[in-house]
Amino acid sequence: MWHRDQRGNREFAHGKEAWGLAAEVAGGCGCFVADVEEEQVVEEELSCYNCRYRRWSVESFTCLRLPPLHVAA
Amino acid sequence: MRIAISIDDTDNLESRGTGEIASLIAEELQQRGWGSCSYITRHQLYVHPDIPYTSHNSAMCFYAEVGEGWLEPVIEYVSGFLEKESAPGSDPGLCVAVPAKMAARNELIAFGRRAKGEVIGMDEAYDLARRLGVHLSQHGGTGQGVIGALAGAGLRMSGNDGRLKGFLEFGQPYRMLRVDELLQHPVVDVVKSVTGEALKDEDLVVLGEKPKTVLLEGESVLLVAASQSGNCEARWQTLHRKQLKAY
Repeated sequence: MWHRDQRGNREFAHGKEAWGLAAEVAGGCGCFVADVEEEQVVEEELSCYNCRYRRWSVESFTCLRLPPLHVAA
Repeated sequence: MRIAISIDDTDNLESRGTGEIASLIAEELQQRGWGSCSYITRHQLYVHPDIPYTSHNSAMCFYAEVGEGWLEPVIEYVSGFLEKESAPGSDPGLCVAVPAKMAARNELIAFGRRAKGEVIGMDEAYDLARRLGVHLSQHGGTGQGVIGALAGAGLRMSGNDGRLKGFLEFGQPYRMLRVDELLQHPVVDVVKSVTGEALKDEDLVVLGEKPKTVLLEGESVLLVAASQSGNCEARWQTLHRKQLKAY
């Protein structure tokens, strides 16, 4: 579901249009907080794409609340 | 005199958004009797690792009609507001432009368009603002928000960028309305099909959740697409948020 981006952030591995997966992840996430109305981009409010802790990246978004992923040894 | 007021980078992850700050400023200008304010538009800027945006990199802009003597008081008031109300850690920027007094509006519009796909520095933004006679100022942090604020003004003046802040509300929770009824809404200037097909006044439009207009050709446009609802009465439906992301 997630990978580590070049700066070590936790980036969603499925891009900006994986509507179902983004809703599924948000549904099971204790950190979800809906962003302000003008920044919500999908109908279903409970979606990582609508979360105030998602930071859009070029290909996807990074999560600013879940702990960063560690590099595999 | 019509002025464009554009702000950027006033928030942090936990604070209210830049859109709400813009709304508060617009309300206060009206309450003080300095002028009347238009709707607020949200303009998406470039998402790039070298740009230190909070989470989405968007600027907010609105027009205000103010008397000639109110320009400086407005700038002073908004500057103070941003200094007091912007979130800790933010880098707020303010642009106030008077479109009718600008000889080279196209340069500002071109700057706005570039800021959607290019990393631009603060020096360039200040140089352009100075040359065009546009007010540009920073009000905390690094002041990086001046780039987005200037770009937001240019994009608003282009008339072809951004979504309106807020969504359309009607007196009752209608499931569908005729095109001519939708046009009665104060924020809907035009109802338009995304595919360019002509709409008739009597055509029915199914209203999705929280319908929203976009800025096209200087107007607030409610975009519709062929109805997928299976309801043979309605020919159209409003666009989903996913479809509006591109605006």
